[in-house]
Amino acid sequence: MLEYSIVAGILFGVFFGFMALGLNLIFGVMQVVNLAHGDFVVLGGYLAVIAYSAGHINPVVSLVGAFVLFFVIAFALYFPVIPRLTRSKDPEMLSLILFFGLSQIIEALDVIGFGNNPRSLPLAIMGAAPWHFLGQSYQMAWVITAIVSLVMIGATYLFLYYTRIGYAARAIMGSREEAAASGLPVAQTSAIIFGVGIGLAAMAGVLSPFMIGSVDPSTGLGLTTIAFAIVVIGSLGNPLGSVLGGLVYGVSVMLMQTYFSSWSDLVPYLLLLIIVLAKPSGLLGKGVRNA
Amino acid sequence: MNSRKHSAMIVGLSAAMLAGTLAGCGTSTSAAPPTKNISDITIGTLYAGSGAYATSSLPEYAGLKFWASQADKSGGVFVKALNKKVPIKIVAYNDQSSATTATSLYSQLISVNHVNVLVADFGSVLTSVAVPVAEENKMVLFDQSGTGTTFFTPNNPYIVLTSLPNSGLWPDSLAQYLIGQHYSRVAILYDTNDFDQSQEQTLVSKLKAAGITPVYNSGVPTSTSSYSVLLNNISHANPQAVIEFGYPNNDISFLQALKASGAQYKMVFTVFPGQLPTLFTTSDGPSSINNIYTYPAPPLISHAHVNYGMNSSQFIAAYKKATGQSTNFLNIAGYNTGLIIQKTLETANSLSQLSLRHAVSRFSGTIETLDGKFQINSEGAQTGETLPVGKFTTNSAGKVSVDLLTPLS
Repeated sequence: MLEYSIVAGILFGVFFGFMALGLNLIFGVMQVVNLAHGDFVVLGGYLAVIAYSAGHINPVVSLVGAFVLFFVIAFALYFPVIPRLTRSKDPEMLSLILFFGLSQIIEALDVIGFGNNPRSLPLAIMGAAPWHFLGQSYQMAWVITAIVSLVMIGATYLFLYYTRIGYAARAIMGSREEAAASGLPVAQTSAIIFGVGIGLAAMAGVLSPFMIGSVDPSTGLGLTTIAFAIVVIGSLGNPLGSVLGGLVYGVSVMLMQTYFSSWSDLVPYLLLLIIVLAKPSGLLGKGVRNA
Repeated sequence: MNSRKHSAMIVGLSAAMLAGTLAGCGTSTSAAPPTKNISDITIGTLYAGSGAYATSSLPEYAGLKFWASQADKSGGVFVKALNKKVPIKIVAYNDQSSATTATSLYSQLISVNHVNVLVADFGSVLTSVAVPVAEENKMVLFDQSGTGTTFFTPNNPYIVLTSLPNSGLWPDSLAQYLIGQHYSRVAILYDTNDFDQSQEQTLVSKLKAAGITPVYNSGVPTSTSSYSVLLNNISHANPQAVIEFGYPNNDISFLQALKASGAQYKMVFTVFPGQLPTLFTTSDGPSSINNIYTYPAPPLISHAHVNYGMNSSQFIAAYKKATGQSTNFLNIAGYNTGLIIQKTLETANSLSQLSLRHAVSRFSGTIETLDGKFQINSEGAQTGETLPVGKFTTNSAGKVSVDLLTPLS
């Protein structure tokens, strides 16, 4: 049971690390706290469900559509909203209020558009046969979801470290003022990162029915809370920190489910508490902030 | 920069956690008139317009509204205390599935709206906060589907369970079936809430009385959505029967994970496919409940003898005509609550709350509705209805049917 819990926790954690990636990117570049992050994940889930039920489109294909669609939506949302926030005296606090409102609006629209019932995808889409590893069988849907998540995390890493926009984004993460003074296109870079962050959230949403069973309008809040915990555990503003935070979260949840199942709900909050007390900058905090 | 970020994150988390507890949106409300000049009977209730319980709460509320509209079509309900028919008016607030919000809204219904009759929202979680509020304010709580055993105590006369038996009684038929099938290796997975824990406790005690100790028995938070590791742990116990007590979202995720795991057991039981089969078949296809055992509830089963209100087929037709919607059990539960309130008003000598409660005791055991026999014990818990065990079968065309495996009553 221990081996199964650890391997399943890694698969689960890789997905959740990917799910939190967009939140971390947006916060790192814009110091904007996106409380609607989980709601964008849910919207991605609905997109996958509708695409599959209406056109039998495989969720792996829907990933591309989700990214493009939500990148465009976020890009359009950026210009009337984010520059005003970043120019304000307290962008974090204002973003909390603004994105909390946006979260409520999205949830209400979800109820109107999709109803309250949980919506799901057949796990067999990702393959009916289980994956055998170390004498244990794992759901193929989890394995494929974790692989896709890893690929997307890798792609994000390459984007940040080997593209012009990525360089600019990392420079802005270090110091927005110095990046602007150096002549970097701060506004355009921020807009793109905002689009990428929301696009990644929607992509994680496409995969979410395979990991969390189903999505409904109220799922977003819980996902936002988990994403925050993961981001704080790993490191604020560090995309790689999301991956590490996701792994710590995933393995901890699965071990708790195995040995103290009634308490498994407490995992994100306990981890958050421990990290805030023991290493407030997160597990990878120091390296990134000084990079 | 870092300290700013951390303070922002702490505030962010606080805001995220508070989000689920903020007040709900109201609907139409008005204060009830003084008893002497009563022109309508005001029924106060809550519904979950969003959140985890909306799936179940909204159809139950729709059933109650349907009853009120049917009653008002015929000029209202007969109120013995007034010796005349009086229209029904429903005052309802949206608690958004939040128990915290529900607490203040129940108080508001009593102290601001001065409702004549108080009806709880769906399920044990949202009813649990109504029980002390009603008792403190000496209002009878017509509890539709909050079946947790802890709600019913000898010292609290202010509660009546209308549409489901006390959850401690639910597993009676299940235990009988398991014992009858000689299943000696039983695994139980339950959510840690009043509704599911009551069932787990009853089932375990009945199995132990028959010399069966569950090979796996574990509780999980109600918010659990990932069941793979739990199922793997269950498989190590090598059970013949796997029993999962959860809410609809839990059951969906559990059955999905079970299907994906490829594990096979002689018997897999979950609660809500019997009440909301369409939710499961639309979510993951008809095969998702094929060979699943459950408690089938009306309209999947039909009570032959009905002496109060519509029977199943009449209800299905009338509900479809009025709302355009198909019927599920929770519509029937809401309608049945209305019938119990109607009978109470027909029976009570005055509109005082204790008179209403005494009236319920007087007609208890004498009426049979489309939901079964209505009978309460001295603590207000439903004991007349029984929940049989049934098994779903899906044919190649995707048609779902259920076979009863234990007697209906």
